[in-house]
Amino acid sequence: MKLFQTLLNRRRFLQSSAAVGASAGAVTAGITGLTGLTLVEQARAQTPRGETVVTKNVCAQCPARCGIDVYTTDGSVHAIYGDTGNPIANGKLCPKGHLGSYFLYDPDRFKGPMKRTNPNKGRDEDPGFVPISWDEALDTVAERLNDLRRRGESHRFSMFYGRGWGASDAGMQGTFGQLYGTPNAAIGHSSMCADGSKKAKHATDGNNSYNSYDYRNTNYLLIIGASFLEAFRPYNNVMQMWGHMRSKSPKTRVTTVDVRMNPTMAASDRALYIKPGTDGAFALAIAHVILTEGLWDRDFVGDFTNPNLQFVAGRRVSPSVFNEKWVHGLADWWNEEVKDRTPEWAESVTSIKAADIRRTAVEFGSTRPAVALFERGATGHSNGTYNGMAIHSLNALVGSLFAEGGLGYQMGPSYGSLPADADDYLDDYARNGAWREQPRIDMKGTERWPMVGNMMQECAPNHLAGDPYKLDTAMFFYTNPIWSAPNPQVWEEALKDVFVIDTSPFPGETAMYADIVLPDSTYLERLQDIPTYPFEGWPMAALRVPAVEPIHDTKMYGDVIIELGKRIEGPTADYYRELDNIENVVRHLAAGFADDPGDNGVNDFETWREKGVWYKKPYQWRQIRGEFYEWDGQRYARQMSEEEVQQQLLKTPSGKFEFRSGYLEEHADYIEREMGIPRARAGLVQWVEPVHTGGDGDLHFVTPKTPLHAEGRGANIPHNIAIHQPIVGGRNTVYLEVHPQTAKERGIRNGDRVRITSDLGSIEAECRYVASHRADTLVLPFEYGHWAQGRWAKDRGPGNSSEITANVSDPISGLASYYTGKVRLERA
Amino acid sequence: MAKWGMVIDLDKCTGCQACTTACSMENNTLPGESWQDVLFYNAGEYPSAQMKWLPRPCMQCENPSCVHVCPTRATYKDPDAGGIVFVDWNKCIGCKYCMIACPYGVRFYADEKPLIEPDIRETFPSDNGQLWSPPYQNPEEDWRRGIGIQPPGVVSKCTFCYHKVRLAPEGVADLDEDNPEVKEYVPACVRTCAPKARYFGDLDNPESQVNQLIGDKHGVRLKDHTGNRPQVYYLGAGAGVPAFTPADREHDA
Repeated sequence: MKLFQTLLNRRRFLQSSAAVGASAGAVTAGITGLTGLTLVEQARAQTPRGETVVTKNVCAQCPARCGIDVYTTDGSVHAIYGDTGNPIANGKLCPKGHLGSYFLYDPDRFKGPMKRTNPNKGRDEDPGFVPISWDEALDTVAERLNDLRRRGESHRFSMFYGRGWGASDAGMQGTFGQLYGTPNAAIGHSSMCADGSKKAKHATDGNNSYNSYDYRNTNYLLIIGASFLEAFRPYNNVMQMWGHMRSKSPKTRVTTVDVRMNPTMAASDRALYIKPGTDGAFALAIAHVILTEGLWDRDFVGDFTNPNLQFVAGRRVSPSVFNEKWVHGLADWWNEEVKDRTPEWAESVTSIKAADIRRTAVEFGSTRPAVALFERGATGHSNGTYNGMAIHSLNALVGSLFAEGGLGYQMGPSYGSLPADADDYLDDYARNGAWREQPRIDMKGTERWPMVGNMMQECAPNHLAGDPYKLDTAMFFYTNPIWSAPNPQVWEEALKDVFVIDTSPFPGETAMYADIVLPDSTYLERLQDIPTYPFEGWPMAALRVPAVEPIHDTKMYGDVIIELGKRIEGPTADYYRELDNIENVVRHLAAGFADDPGDNGVNDFETWREKGVWYKKPYQWRQIRGEFYEWDGQRYARQMSEEEVQQQLLKTPSGKFEFRSGYLEEHADYIEREMGIPRARAGLVQWVEPVHTGGDGDLHFVTPKTPLHAEGRGANIPHNIAIHQPIVGGRNTVYLEVHPQTAKERGIRNGDRVRITSDLGSIEAECRYVASHRADTLVLPFEYGHWAQGRWAKDRGPGNSSEITANVSDPISGLASYYTGKVRLERA
Repeated sequence: MAKWGMVIDLDKCTGCQACTTACSMENNTLPGESWQDVLFYNAGEYPSAQMKWLPRPCMQCENPSCVHVCPTRATYKDPDAGGIVFVDWNKCIGCKYCMIACPYGVRFYADEKPLIEPDIRETFPSDNGQLWSPPYQNPEEDWRRGIGIQPPGVVSKCTFCYHKVRLAPEGVADLDEDNPEVKEYVPACVRTCAPKARYFGDLDNPESQVNQLIGDKHGVRLKDHTGNRPQVYYLGAGAGVPAFTPADREHDA
């Protein structure tokens, strides 16, 4: 076929005829070739285009929430660019954003609701899906739920969510559970995401949240285990800020600490390789130098009563000689922990040279404003919360909390009320039914996991053990733990006897276990609100406006919940009849903007739809030289009292930044029991040895996200696959990145197939030599190894790294320790 | 008429490849047919290794070797279109001489075994003489300039998004995506570049920002010894083609 085409073209070449309509204009001197060779009837020139419509939407390929302009001509979406009017996107996008059209036109999408006909479930079982109507699908699910409720077993229905967007999808799960009667209505994926960083901040400054950052005015960045130029959110904006920081005056200086070579390390002024799981030791040594060199911010931290006093390594100070300003427990922290955390000590733990630690500390401590930031590289370990607390403490020492060029937290949007108040629709069962005595299936908030936000990874093992009980029915929204959870093999077993409802538009692994599929519309087809993730602090909410009507028989998830709710017995149905549909919900949210118009003039649903985003600058609070001020409409002029600061900003028991955490001390018995830390020390920001998982392997195993990791969909997008791992030439697969010395010791040549083994089992991959990595650390970017997900994803690339990752979590945050495994490596 | 030029600041580039995907979707190239690729180079060993990257569009050379060798004059440089080098798909016979002659490796022949299986051309087949017809095809098409989706058997390349650039107001010095008046005329790779590592403007206009940057930051052209004289300039420490061996070969036993 191809040969035939080529011959045709050769013939076309020989059939010389006059050029028509082609203004070739080859002017370069010295050309002696033939001219004007073309066939009249085949010559194609410029074609007229139809009318192009641009709609506002929000990208859905990572949590960043970049506003996008979607270009549609003659009913087809053909381009996506960043929305110039969206403060996160500013007209820009990351590499994933442009590929969004693939989500809409994915040939493997579900075309409508379906039910399973094969009762057997497993990787190799064809579900035998047959199409059904939406009415049949919703009636089937509602009947099942009503039946559970009649039997007093409504707690055995759970709703799982991963990437929730706002009040109009995952935000509805909690209310549904309250009305229907299950504690399991909103089991989020945060414990398999990044709860470690939230908990580290909760424990030190009282905010259980990611930070907002003022990169524009930062002069020093200390980046620890965050993949800043690959996956730190909001990635697109982070790169915009990188361009600014690296070309402004003065140029922002950057030190990056990571376990592997990556673009952030390569682009920084200083790259420090650290032994996995030891980030806290590095941060404590930085703190040690800041204190011994006298570099801390006196306005924020406070000072010695006598100017002749100082912190001397190994020597205690009396708490009475230090006047603390906005911190709590500094002298105690020094005496019990930091005084011995010298750079030399840290070198022995982290493998980073003491001289490099000292240089970094002096730079960080003497450049204002400075920010220390971190993510899962530091927190994906048993000691993750303590690692994070140690790093976050550096922000307190240099006074960057709530400061210009520092970091803060995120304010929420001025939404209007929903059409109805769920509290008015609770029946006696919802208020007092037996379900209220039941714990969540993941045991969140019980003695087993007292401090966590969610514990999704525990649900499958708990169901299998029947402890606390067996699930009956589970609905999944934007999450796929049967593939992505640590040790997902357990989920494959657990979901066999659970009635599974999947809502993904795509044929993922969860769908292969589904008894019913209620396919969501893709993001380019949905209307929904999108409040921002922590960004720059001031409130913002974007809106997804459908670029096209759903091209298949799909229904936006929020509308599925409403339609399901209308079918639940009792007053629940009345509540959902009041909501009516998602557009009505979104219109009610938008009504709140009438009294608080956005900076871009958005004050109702129509203007929100037109502009795509409502936002209102500035951030309400700022710390200036150790005093807190509130914005008075003109400037940061109204000074706040200590009580106000505690209420609004430093929400700890002491109202200060706590080097001795009151929150952790409340759970001292648990911490002593689970981590072996004496209860008297539980609250201290401290070094704790990581407990690695995986058995007796001699190599660390890390599975970072690349810039193209599109949340479960990257593996089924050919243009994504083609450039997924460019740094080592991964252009059709993902290679295992191995230091050549490590490989050669095992007789492994560049390009060999290798086997990676933990105590859970083995996966295979293709080896690629990368001399810039640590010899003790294997790197396998997380993307492939799917046994479903579509024609391109299925069976592509190396095995699924989750399958050799133990289900072990940080006892404090509950964050699954994805980056702490030890493995063995051999030729396959 | 302007002479369009691009400036790429390697000190700001983060190697994210948004330029690559923006180009792919704007121009409907096939997977692997990356008119705008980013090449990575590794050198040295832990703990003092380095990694560099080089975004690589067509250089739109002033003296393009591809044009010199084309036997059908399918490839040509158009001074009336900003000095952009085009391939006329009505004339190209797919002989690939231009691909060999190009010192920068920025010409593509996509009518062969696909990089990614299953072949997306079979998923989205064409019935109108194109290689394939994705549902998200850009409606812009001009085969005389290699714009649109190519027929089988021809060479394709970056056009500086001429279908956008051609609409720019006469006499404009720079096509800066931050200027709402012109953002729709900016090449896709420049428009989307998050760290603003790319600039696009008139090299014939001494007032343009691109000329200012080339002057202030000592812009260099790649492989200048070939005499091709690119209209793409690079800025930043170490701007140029790294002399490293590709990562996958360096440590071959």
